[in-house]
Amino acid sequence: MLKHFKLQTAERDVVSLTEDIKAFVEGSGIREGLCTICTPHTTAGLTVTSFWDPNGFLDLQDEICRLIPTRIDFKHQHDTPQDAAGHVKSSLIGVSFSLPIHEGKLLLGHSQGIYFLEFDGPRNREYFVKLIRDPDGP
Amino acid sequence: MSKFDNAMRRQALSLPALLEEQYHDLEPKARSILSFQEIFSIQRIILTGCGDSRAASMAVKLAFEELTGIPTEVVTALDLSRYYDPKQLGFAPRNPLVIAVSNSGGVARVGEAIQRAVGAGAFALGVTGRRDSLLGRSASRVLDLEIPSFESAPGVRSYLVSVLSLLLLAIRLGEVRGRYTMDQANAYRRDLLRQGEALERLLPALDEKAEAQAGRWKDFDAFDFAGAGKDLAAAWYGHAKIFEAAGKRAMCVNAEEWLHLNFFMRDVDTTGTSVVCTGRNRGICRVREMVHHAAADMGRPTAVVTDEPELFRGEGAEIFEIPKTEYDFSSALTNFVPLALLAGFVSAMIGETYGRGCKGPWAFADHGAGITQSAIILD
Repeated sequence: MLKHFKLQTAERDVVSLTEDIKAFVEGSGIREGLCTICTPHTTAGLTVTSFWDPNGFLDLQDEICRLIPTRIDFKHQHDTPQDAAGHVKSSLIGVSFSLPIHEGKLLLGHSQGIYFLEFDGPRNREYFVKLIRDPDGP
Repeated sequence: MSKFDNAMRRQALSLPALLEEQYHDLEPKARSILSFQEIFSIQRIILTGCGDSRAASMAVKLAFEELTGIPTEVVTALDLSRYYDPKQLGFAPRNPLVIAVSNSGGVARVGEAIQRAVGAGAFALGVTGRRDSLLGRSASRVLDLEIPSFESAPGVRSYLVSVLSLLLLAIRLGEVRGRYTMDQANAYRRDLLRQGEALERLLPALDEKAEAQAGRWKDFDAFDFAGAGKDLAAAWYGHAKIFEAAGKRAMCVNAEEWLHLNFFMRDVDTTGTSVVCTGRNRGICRVREMVHHAAADMGRPTAVVTDEPELFRGEGAEIFEIPKTEYDFSSALTNFVPLALLAGFVSAMIGETYGRGCKGPWAFADHGAGITQSAIILD
Protein backbone atom coordinates (compact mmCIF):
# COMPACT_ATOMS: atom_id res chain seq x y z
CA MET A 1 0.00 0.00 0.00
CA LEU A 2 1.65 3.22 -1.22
CA LYS A 3 0.49 6.81 -0.76
CA HIS A 4 1.86 9.94 -2.40
CA PHE A 5 1.88 13.18 -0.40
CA LYS A 6 2.69 16.69 -1.61
CA LEU A 7 3.79 19.74 0.32
CA GLN A 8 5.10 23.22 -0.25
CA THR A 9 8.09 24.32 1.77
CA ALA A 10 9.68 27.60 2.79
CA GLU A 11 13.41 28.24 2.83
CA ARG A 12 15.12 26.01 5.48
CA ASP A 13 11.72 24.71 6.48
CA VAL A 14 10.98 21.93 8.97
CA VAL A 15 7.57 20.48 8.15
CA SER A 16 5.74 18.00 10.36
CA LEU A 17 4.50 14.92 8.51
CA THR A 18 3.44 13.07 11.65
CA GLU A 19 -0.32 13.51 11.60
CA ASP A 20 -0.70 12.70 7.89
CA ILE A 21 1.36 9.53 8.20
CA LYS A 22 -0.34 8.44 11.43
CA ALA A 23 -3.75 8.87 9.79
CA PHE A 24 -2.65 6.83 6.76
CA VAL A 25 -1.37 4.02 9.00
CA GLU A 26 -4.44 3.98 11.23
CA GLY A 27 -6.77 4.02 8.23
CA SER A 28 -4.96 1.15 6.52
CA GLY A 29 -6.29 -1.60 8.76
CA ILE A 30 -2.78 -3.00 9.21
CA ARG A 31 -2.24 -4.13 12.81
CA GLU A 32 1.39 -5.28 12.59
CA GLY A 33 3.85 -4.31 9.89
CA LEU A 34 6.29 -1.75 8.64
CA CYS A 35 5.93 1.84 7.47
CA THR A 36 8.60 3.20 5.11
CA ILE A 37 8.78 6.89 4.35
CA CYS A 38 10.90 8.31 1.54
CA THR A 39 11.28 11.53 -0.38
CA PRO A 40 12.62 11.64 -3.95
CA HIS A 41 14.64 14.84 -3.55
CA THR A 42 18.35 15.52 -3.30
CA THR A 43 18.21 18.79 -1.36
CA ALA A 44 15.84 17.67 1.41
CA GLY A 45 15.84 15.08 4.17
CA LEU A 46 13.58 13.13 6.51
CA THR A 47 14.13 12.77 10.21
CA VAL A 48 12.53 11.97 13.54
CA THR A 49 12.90 14.59 16.25
CA SER A 50 11.14 16.10 19.23
CA PHE A 51 8.12 18.27 18.59
CA TRP A 52 7.89 19.93 22.01
CA ASP A 53 9.85 23.10 21.37
CA PRO A 54 9.74 24.79 17.94
CA ASN A 55 13.13 26.32 18.71
CA GLY A 56 14.49 22.80 18.44
CA PHE A 57 13.70 22.92 14.71
CA LEU A 58 15.75 26.09 14.40
CA ASP A 59 18.61 24.41 16.29
CA LEU A 60 18.41 21.44 13.96
CA GLN A 61 18.73 23.53 10.80
CA ASP A 62 21.32 25.81 12.41
CA GLU A 63 23.53 22.90 13.40
CA ILE A 64 23.18 21.20 10.02
CA CYS A 65 24.17 24.51 8.41
CA ARG A 66 27.06 24.87 10.83
CA LEU A 67 28.33 21.43 9.83
CA ILE A 68 27.74 22.00 6.13
CA PRO A 69 27.70 25.74 5.52
CA THR A 70 26.64 27.17 2.20
CA ARG A 71 29.98 27.92 0.58
CA ILE A 72 31.04 29.09 -2.82
CA ASP A 73 33.89 26.60 -3.25
CA PHE A 74 31.84 23.47 -3.78
CA LYS A 75 32.95 21.55 -6.84
CA HIS A 76 29.34 21.02 -7.89
CA GLN A 77 28.55 24.35 -9.53
CA HIS A 78 25.79 23.39 -11.92
CA ASP A 79 23.08 25.01 -9.83
CA THR A 80 23.66 27.21 -6.76
CA PRO A 81 25.79 27.15 -3.59
CA GLN A 82 22.65 26.46 -1.58
CA ASP A 83 21.85 23.55 -3.85
CA ALA A 84 25.38 22.15 -3.56
CA ALA A 85 25.25 22.33 0.23
CA GLY A 86 21.76 20.86 0.13
CA HIS A 87 23.00 17.74 -1.67
CA VAL A 88 25.54 17.07 1.07
CA LYS A 89 23.00 17.71 3.86
CA SER A 90 20.48 15.45 2.18
CA SER A 91 22.98 12.61 1.86
CA LEU A 92 24.04 12.87 5.49
CA ILE A 93 20.55 13.18 6.96
CA GLY A 94 18.99 10.68 4.59
CA VAL A 95 15.88 10.57 2.49
CA SER A 96 14.13 7.50 3.88
CA PHE A 97 13.57 5.44 7.00
CA SER A 98 11.17 2.85 8.35
CA LEU A 99 9.13 2.64 11.53
CA PRO A 100 7.25 -0.35 12.90
CA ILE A 101 3.47 -0.52 12.93
CA HIS A 102 2.27 -2.07 16.16
CA GLU A 103 -1.32 -2.66 17.25
CA GLY A 104 -2.54 -0.58 14.32
CA LYS A 105 -0.46 2.48 15.16
CA LEU A 106 2.84 3.94 14.14
CA LEU A 107 5.43 3.09 16.75
CA LEU A 108 6.71 6.52 17.77
CA GLY A 109 7.97 7.70 21.16
CA HIS A 110 5.88 10.19 23.09
CA SER A 111 8.17 13.09 22.05
CA GLN A 112 8.85 11.93 18.53
CA GLY A 113 7.53 13.43 15.33
CA ILE A 114 8.36 12.81 11.68
CA TYR A 115 9.75 15.82 9.88
CA PHE A 116 10.61 16.91 6.38
CA LEU A 117 13.78 19.01 6.34
CA GLU A 118 14.09 21.53 3.53
CA PHE A 119 17.68 22.37 2.63
CA ASP A 120 16.74 24.69 -0.24
CA GLY A 121 13.30 26.14 -0.71
CA PRO A 122 10.79 27.47 -1.13
CA ARG A 123 9.98 24.45 -3.27
CA ASN A 124 7.13 22.17 -4.22
CA ARG A 125 8.01 18.83 -2.61
CA GLU A 126 6.64 15.33 -2.28
CA TYR A 127 7.13 12.17 -0.28
CA PHE A 128 5.84 8.61 -0.31
CA VAL A 129 4.68 6.29 2.44
CA LYS A 130 4.70 2.52 1.88
CA LEU A 131 2.93 0.21 4.35
CA ILE A 132 3.80 -3.49 4.53
CA ARG A 133 1.73 -5.94 6.54
CA ASP A 134 3.67 -8.62 8.46
CA PRO A 135 3.33 -11.92 6.53
CA ASP A 136 1.89 -13.65 9.57
CA GLY A 137 0.25 -10.59 11.08
CA PRO A 138 -3.40 -9.45 11.26
CA MET B 1 4.37 36.31 -50.11
CA SER B 2 4.84 40.07 -49.98
CA LYS B 3 6.31 41.61 -53.12
CA PHE B 4 8.47 43.64 -50.76
CA ASP B 5 9.98 40.58 -49.10
CA ASN B 6 13.50 41.38 -47.98
CA ALA B 7 16.39 39.93 -45.99
CA MET B 8 15.51 41.81 -42.80
CA ARG B 9 11.98 40.47 -43.00
CA ARG B 10 13.28 36.95 -43.54
CA GLN B 11 15.58 37.37 -40.55
CA ALA B 12 12.62 38.55 -38.46
CA LEU B 13 10.46 35.63 -39.57
CA SER B 14 13.25 33.23 -38.59
CA LEU B 15 13.38 34.49 -34.99
CA PRO B 16 11.03 31.97 -33.30
CA ALA B 17 13.13 29.03 -34.46
CA LEU B 18 16.33 30.89 -33.70
CA LEU B 19 15.20 31.69 -30.16
CA GLU B 20 14.42 28.06 -29.44
CA GLU B 21 17.71 26.87 -30.85
CA GLN B 22 19.86 29.56 -29.24
CA TYR B 23 18.22 29.18 -25.86
CA HIS B 24 19.26 25.54 -25.72
CA ASP B 25 22.77 26.44 -26.82
CA LEU B 26 23.27 29.40 -24.50
CA GLU B 27 21.52 28.33 -21.30
CA PRO B 28 24.17 25.73 -20.33
CA LYS B 29 26.95 28.08 -21.41
CA ALA B 30 25.61 30.94 -19.30
CA ARG B 31 25.25 28.50 -16.40
CA SER B 32 28.89 27.44 -16.41
CA ILE B 33 30.80 30.44 -17.73
CA LEU B 34 31.50 31.91 -14.26
CA SER B 35 32.25 29.97 -11.08
CA PHE B 36 30.44 30.55 -7.78
CA GLN B 37 33.56 32.32 -6.50
CA GLU B 38 33.67 34.62 -9.50
CA ILE B 39 29.98 35.40 -9.28
CA PHE B 40 30.16 36.22 -5.57
CA SER B 41 33.15 38.49 -6.08
CA ILE B 42 31.32 40.84 -8.45
CA GLN B 43 30.74 44.26 -6.92
CA ARG B 44 29.84 46.23 -10.03
CA ILE B 45 28.96 45.42 -13.62
CA ILE B 46 29.68 47.38 -16.78
CA LEU B 47 27.93 46.43 -20.00
CA THR B 48 29.69 47.76 -23.06
CA GLY B 49 29.47 47.56 -26.79
CA CYS B 50 28.87 49.54 -29.95
CA GLY B 51 25.81 49.83 -32.18
CA ASP B 52 23.31 47.00 -31.71
CA SER B 53 25.43 45.54 -28.92
CA ARG B 54 25.15 48.78 -27.03
CA ALA B 55 21.38 48.68 -27.58
CA ALA B 56 21.31 45.12 -26.24
CA SER B 57 23.19 46.33 -23.16
CA MET B 58 20.64 49.12 -22.68
CA ALA B 59 17.84 46.57 -23.05
CA VAL B 60 19.11 44.44 -20.16
CA LYS B 61 20.64 47.02 -17.81
CA LEU B 62 17.61 47.25 -15.55
CA ALA B 63 17.17 43.48 -15.63
CA PHE B 64 20.76 43.05 -14.43
CA GLU B 65 20.11 45.33 -11.47
CA GLU B 66 16.72 43.79 -10.67
CA LEU B 67 17.95 40.21 -10.89
CA THR B 68 21.47 40.44 -9.50
CA GLY B 69 21.15 43.34 -7.07
CA ILE B 70 24.53 44.53 -8.39
CA PRO B 71 24.91 48.15 -9.59
CA THR B 72 25.14 47.98 -13.37
CA GLU B 73 25.91 50.64 -15.93
CA VAL B 74 26.01 50.76 -19.70
CA VAL B 75 29.18 52.45 -20.94
CA THR B 76 29.90 52.97 -24.61
CA ALA B 77 33.10 51.38 -25.82
CA LEU B 78 34.61 54.79 -26.58
CA ASP B 79 33.84 56.08 -23.09
CA LEU B 80 35.21 52.94 -21.47
CA SER B 81 38.36 52.94 -23.54
CA ARG B 82 39.27 56.60 -23.38
CA TYR B 83 37.44 58.37 -20.56
CA TYR B 84 36.40 55.97 -17.79
CA ASP B 85 38.19 56.72 -14.52
CA PRO B 86 40.96 54.10 -14.28
CA LYS B 87 40.57 54.04 -10.49
CA GLN B 88 37.12 52.58 -11.05
CA LEU B 89 38.59 49.76 -13.14
CA GLY B 90 40.27 47.31 -10.81
CA PHE B 91 39.00 49.03 -7.65
CA ALA B 92 38.76 45.54 -6.14
CA PRO B 93 40.24 42.25 -7.35
CA ARG B 94 38.76 41.33 -10.72
CA ASN B 95 36.24 44.14 -10.52
CA PRO B 96 34.14 45.41 -12.10
CA LEU B 97 32.81 42.62 -14.27
CA VAL B 98 32.83 44.07 -17.77
CA ILE B 99 30.62 42.28 -20.27
CA ALA B 100 31.09 43.06 -23.94
CA VAL B 101 28.92 41.59 -26.67
CA SER B 102 30.08 41.49 -30.26
CA ASN B 103 29.22 38.60 -32.54
CA SER B 104 32.08 39.37 -34.91
CA GLY B 105 34.38 40.42 -32.10
CA GLY B 106 36.30 42.60 -34.50
CA VAL B 107 35.12 46.07 -33.47
CA ALA B 108 38.29 47.98 -32.63
CA ARG B 109 36.84 50.20 -29.92
CA VAL B 110 35.31 47.27 -28.03
CA GLY B 111 38.60 45.44 -28.13
CA GLU B 112 40.42 48.53 -26.93
CA ALA B 113 37.94 49.08 -24.10
CA ILE B 114 38.31 45.49 -22.94
CA GLN B 115 42.09 45.57 -23.12
CA ARG B 116 42.15 48.75 -21.05
CA ALA B 117 39.69 47.39 -18.51
CA VAL B 118 41.55 44.09 -18.09
CA GLY B 119 44.85 45.95 -17.87
CA ALA B 120 43.46 47.99 -14.99
CA GLY B 121 42.33 44.90 -13.10
CA ALA B 122 38.76 44.38 -14.26
CA PHE B 123 37.39 40.97 -15.22
CA ALA B 124 36.10 40.96 -18.79
CA LEU B 125 33.61 38.52 -20.21
CA GLY B 126 33.47 38.60 -23.98
CA VAL B 127 30.31 37.31 -25.62
CA THR B 128 31.33 36.62 -29.21
CA GLY B 129 31.13 34.20 -32.07
CA ARG B 130 34.87 34.50 -32.72
CA ARG B 131 37.34 33.41 -30.06
CA ASP B 132 40.18 34.43 -32.35
CA SER B 133 38.80 37.96 -32.78
CA LEU B 134 40.13 41.05 -31.06
CA LEU B 135 37.43 40.78 -28.39
CA GLY B 136 37.96 37.04 -27.97
CA ARG B 137 41.69 37.51 -27.52
CA SER B 138 41.31 40.49 -25.18
CA ALA B 139 38.67 39.18 -22.77
CA SER B 140 39.40 37.30 -19.53
CA ARG B 141 36.76 34.72 -20.47
CA VAL B 142 34.71 34.05 -23.61
CA LEU B 143 31.11 32.94 -23.88
CA ASP B 144 30.87 31.43 -27.35
CA LEU B 145 28.03 32.49 -29.59
CA GLU B 146 27.12 30.12 -32.39
CA ILE B 147 24.56 31.93 -34.49
CA PRO B 148 23.78 29.98 -37.65
CA SER B 149 24.67 31.96 -40.76
CA PHE B 150 21.86 33.68 -42.60
CA GLU B 151 21.66 36.09 -45.50
CA SER B 152 23.24 39.40 -44.61
CA ALA B 153 21.12 42.31 -43.45
CA PRO B 154 21.19 44.92 -40.70
CA GLY B 155 21.25 42.81 -37.55
CA VAL B 156 17.97 41.24 -36.49
CA ARG B 157 19.00 37.73 -35.51
CA SER B 158 22.23 38.84 -33.86
CA TYR B 159 20.36 41.40 -31.73
CA LEU B 160 17.98 38.78 -30.38
CA VAL B 161 20.89 36.49 -29.52
CA SER B 162 22.76 39.35 -27.82
CA VAL B 163 19.78 40.16 -25.60
CA LEU B 164 19.15 36.47 -24.90
CA SER B 165 22.73 35.79 -23.86
CA LEU B 166 22.79 38.81 -21.56
CA LEU B 167 19.47 37.98 -19.92
CA LEU B 168 20.57 34.39 -19.33
CA LEU B 169 23.73 35.70 -17.67
CA ALA B 170 21.73 38.07 -15.46
CA ILE B 171 19.37 35.28 -14.39
CA ARG B 172 22.33 33.05 -13.59
CA LEU B 173 24.12 35.68 -11.49
CA GLY B 174 20.99 36.34 -9.43
CA GLU B 175 20.33 32.62 -9.01
CA VAL B 176 23.81 31.81 -7.73
CA ARG B 177 23.85 34.81 -5.40
CA GLY B 178 20.65 33.51 -3.81
CA ARG B 179 18.46 36.39 -4.93
CA TYR B 180 15.72 33.88 -5.76
CA THR B 181 15.25 30.14 -5.84
CA MET B 182 16.30 27.81 -8.61
CA ASP B 183 12.60 27.31 -9.39
CA GLN B 184 12.19 31.05 -9.82
CA ALA B 185 15.29 31.22 -11.99
CA ASN B 186 13.84 28.50 -14.18
CA ALA B 187 10.54 30.41 -14.37
CA TYR B 188 12.50 33.42 -15.64
CA ARG B 189 14.23 31.22 -18.19
CA ARG B 190 10.94 29.70 -19.36
CA ASP B 191 9.60 33.21 -19.85
CA LEU B 192 12.39 33.84 -22.33
CA LEU B 193 11.95 30.53 -24.14
CA ARG B 194 8.19 30.65 -24.56
CA GLN B 195 8.32 33.99 -26.32
CA GLY B 196 9.30 32.04 -29.42
CA GLU B 197 5.87 30.45 -29.67
CA ALA B 198 4.10 33.69 -28.85
CA LEU B 199 6.12 35.57 -31.45
CA GLU B 200 5.36 32.93 -34.05
CA ARG B 201 1.64 33.43 -33.46
CA LEU B 202 1.89 37.22 -33.69
CA LEU B 203 4.36 37.46 -36.58
CA PRO B 204 1.85 37.19 -39.47
CA ALA B 205 -0.13 40.15 -38.13
CA LEU B 206 3.03 42.12 -37.33
CA ASP B 207 4.36 41.42 -40.80
CA GLU B 208 1.15 42.59 -42.46
CA LYS B 209 0.91 45.73 -40.31
CA ALA B 210 4.54 46.65 -40.80
CA GLU B 211 4.18 46.38 -44.56
CA ALA B 212 1.07 48.58 -44.52
CA GLN B 213 2.78 51.09 -42.22
CA ALA B 214 5.87 51.19 -44.41
CA GLY B 215 3.62 51.83 -47.40
CA ARG B 216 2.29 54.94 -45.69
CA TRP B 217 5.64 56.08 -44.27
CA LYS B 218 8.17 55.11 -46.95
CA ASP B 219 8.47 58.61 -48.39
CA PHE B 220 8.86 60.35 -45.05
CA ASP B 221 12.14 62.21 -44.65
CA ALA B 222 12.51 61.53 -40.96
CA PHE B 223 11.60 59.09 -38.22
CA ASP B 224 11.87 59.36 -34.50
CA PHE B 225 11.70 56.58 -31.96
CA ALA B 226 10.76 56.97 -28.32
CA GLY B 227 10.56 54.76 -25.28
CA ALA B 228 11.39 54.60 -21.59
CA GLY B 229 13.31 52.24 -19.35
CA LYS B 230 14.27 49.02 -21.06
CA ASP B 231 11.95 49.82 -23.98
CA LEU B 232 14.15 52.79 -24.91
CA ALA B 233 16.67 50.22 -26.14
CA ALA B 234 14.18 48.89 -28.71
CA ALA B 235 13.52 52.47 -29.81
CA TRP B 236 17.28 52.96 -30.17
CA TYR B 237 17.43 49.76 -32.20
CA GLY B 238 14.61 51.04 -34.43
CA HIS B 239 16.35 54.29 -35.23
CA ALA B 240 19.56 52.43 -35.99
CA LYS B 241 17.75 50.17 -38.47
CA ILE B 242 16.26 53.16 -40.29
CA PHE B 243 19.79 54.51 -40.76
CA GLU B 244 21.22 51.18 -41.84
CA ALA B 245 18.38 49.82 -43.93
CA ALA B 246 16.77 52.92 -45.40
CA GLY B 247 19.44 55.62 -45.14
CA LYS B 248 16.94 58.14 -43.79
CA ARG B 249 17.10 60.61 -40.93
CA ALA B 250 16.28 59.06 -37.59
CA MET B 251 16.48 59.90 -33.92
CA CYS B 252 15.93 58.10 -30.65
CA VAL B 253 14.85 59.85 -27.49
CA ASN B 254 13.11 58.94 -24.27
CA ALA B 255 9.43 59.76 -23.96
CA GLU B 256 10.02 62.64 -21.56
CA GLU B 257 12.62 64.27 -23.79
CA TRP B 258 10.34 63.84 -26.81
CA LEU B 259 8.01 66.37 -25.19
CA HIS B 260 10.94 68.71 -24.61
CA LEU B 261 12.39 68.41 -28.11
CA ASN B 262 10.90 66.36 -30.89
CA PHE B 263 7.37 67.70 -30.88
CA PHE B 264 8.74 71.01 -32.18
CA MET B 265 9.43 69.37 -35.56
CA ARG B 266 7.80 71.42 -38.35
CA ASP B 267 6.95 68.48 -40.59
CA VAL B 268 4.08 67.13 -38.58
CA ASP B 269 2.59 65.05 -41.37
CA THR B 270 5.79 63.49 -42.67
CA THR B 271 7.69 62.49 -39.56
CA GLY B 272 6.99 58.94 -38.46
CA THR B 273 7.03 58.45 -34.71
CA SER B 274 7.41 54.96 -33.24
CA VAL B 275 6.97 54.35 -29.54
CA VAL B 276 7.85 51.18 -27.62
CA CYS B 277 6.19 50.56 -24.26
CA THR B 278 5.08 47.39 -22.50
CA GLY B 279 2.10 47.49 -20.18
CA ARG B 280 4.16 47.14 -16.99
CA ASN B 281 6.79 49.69 -17.91
CA ARG B 282 7.08 52.04 -14.91
CA GLY B 283 7.08 55.00 -17.27
CA ILE B 284 3.86 54.03 -19.01
CA CYS B 285 1.81 56.99 -17.73
CA ARG B 286 4.26 59.43 -19.26
CA VAL B 287 4.54 57.39 -22.45
CA ARG B 288 0.76 57.38 -22.83
CA GLU B 289 0.71 61.15 -22.39
CA MET B 290 3.37 61.44 -25.05
CA VAL B 291 1.45 59.20 -27.46
CA HIS B 292 -1.70 61.21 -26.83
CA HIS B 293 0.05 64.49 -27.61
CA ALA B 294 1.76 63.04 -30.70
CA ALA B 295 -1.13 61.16 -32.23
CA ALA B 296 -4.33 62.74 -30.91
CA ASP B 297 -3.28 66.37 -30.30
CA MET B 298 -0.82 66.83 -33.14
CA GLY B 299 -2.00 64.25 -35.64
CA ARG B 300 1.54 63.02 -36.15
CA PRO B 301 1.80 59.60 -37.79
CA THR B 302 2.42 57.40 -34.77
CA ALA B 303 2.99 53.71 -34.14
CA VAL B 304 3.05 52.02 -30.75
CA VAL B 305 4.75 48.70 -30.04
CA THR B 306 3.24 47.14 -26.93
CA ASP B 307 2.12 43.91 -25.29
CA GLU B 308 -1.06 45.60 -24.05
CA PRO B 309 -2.80 47.16 -27.05
CA GLU B 310 -5.85 48.22 -25.02
CA LEU B 311 -3.78 50.75 -23.11
CA PHE B 312 -3.04 52.68 -26.29
CA ARG B 313 -6.26 52.35 -28.28
CA GLY B 314 -8.29 55.40 -29.18
CA GLU B 315 -5.33 57.73 -29.66
CA GLY B 316 -5.11 57.33 -33.42
CA ALA B 317 -1.83 55.45 -33.31
CA GLU B 318 -1.17 52.20 -35.16
CA ILE B 319 -0.59 49.44 -32.66
CA PHE B 320 1.87 46.56 -33.04
CA GLU B 321 1.21 43.80 -30.56
CA ILE B 322 4.23 41.93 -29.22
CA PRO B 323 4.31 38.83 -26.97
CA LYS B 324 3.04 39.30 -23.44
CA THR B 325 5.55 38.02 -20.93
CA GLU B 326 5.27 36.90 -17.34
CA TYR B 327 8.13 39.17 -16.28
CA ASP B 328 8.49 42.59 -17.84
CA PHE B 329 12.27 42.48 -18.23
CA SER B 330 12.09 39.52 -20.57
CA SER B 331 10.05 41.36 -23.21
CA ALA B 332 13.31 43.01 -24.30
CA LEU B 333 13.80 39.79 -26.21
CA THR B 334 11.04 40.52 -28.74
CA ASN B 335 9.96 44.16 -28.39
CA PHE B 336 12.24 45.26 -31.24
CA VAL B 337 10.80 42.93 -33.88
CA PRO B 338 8.11 45.25 -35.35
CA LEU B 339 10.71 47.97 -35.87
CA ALA B 340 13.01 45.57 -37.73
CA LEU B 341 10.10 44.64 -40.01
CA LEU B 342 9.21 48.30 -40.55
CA ALA B 343 12.76 49.32 -41.48
CA GLY B 344 13.11 46.33 -43.79
CA PHE B 345 9.90 47.15 -45.63
CA VAL B 346 10.74 50.87 -45.97
CA SER B 347 14.11 49.89 -47.42
CA ALA B 348 12.54 47.43 -49.86
CA MET B 349 9.79 49.84 -50.97
CA ILE B 350 12.17 52.69 -51.78
CA GLY B 351 14.68 50.34 -53.38
CA GLU B 352 17.43 51.25 -50.92
CA THR B 353 20.47 49.02 -50.53
CA TYR B 354 21.38 48.09 -46.96
CA GLY B 355 24.32 50.19 -45.78
CA ARG B 356 24.30 51.94 -49.18
CA GLY B 357 26.16 48.90 -50.44
CA CYS B 358 29.38 50.45 -49.13
CA LYS B 359 29.77 52.18 -52.46
CA GLY B 360 30.53 55.78 -53.39
CA PRO B 361 30.83 57.95 -50.25
CA TRP B 362 30.34 54.83 -48.13
CA ALA B 363 33.11 52.81 -49.79
CA PHE B 364 35.53 53.43 -46.91
CA ALA B 365 33.30 51.30 -44.69
CA ASP B 366 33.42 48.20 -46.90
CA HIS B 367 33.64 44.98 -44.87
CA GLY B 368 33.17 46.97 -41.69
CA ALA B 369 36.46 48.82 -42.13
CA GLY B 370 34.99 51.95 -40.55
CA ILE B 371 34.74 50.18 -37.20
CA THR B 372 37.40 47.50 -37.40
CA GLN B 373 40.25 49.59 -38.78
CA SER B 374 40.93 52.11 -36.07
CA ALA B 375 44.00 52.97 -34.05
CA ILE B 376 43.96 51.27 -30.65
CA ILE B 377 45.27 53.58 -27.96
CA LEU B 378 46.22 52.12 -24.60
CA ASP B 379 47.77 54.40 -22.01
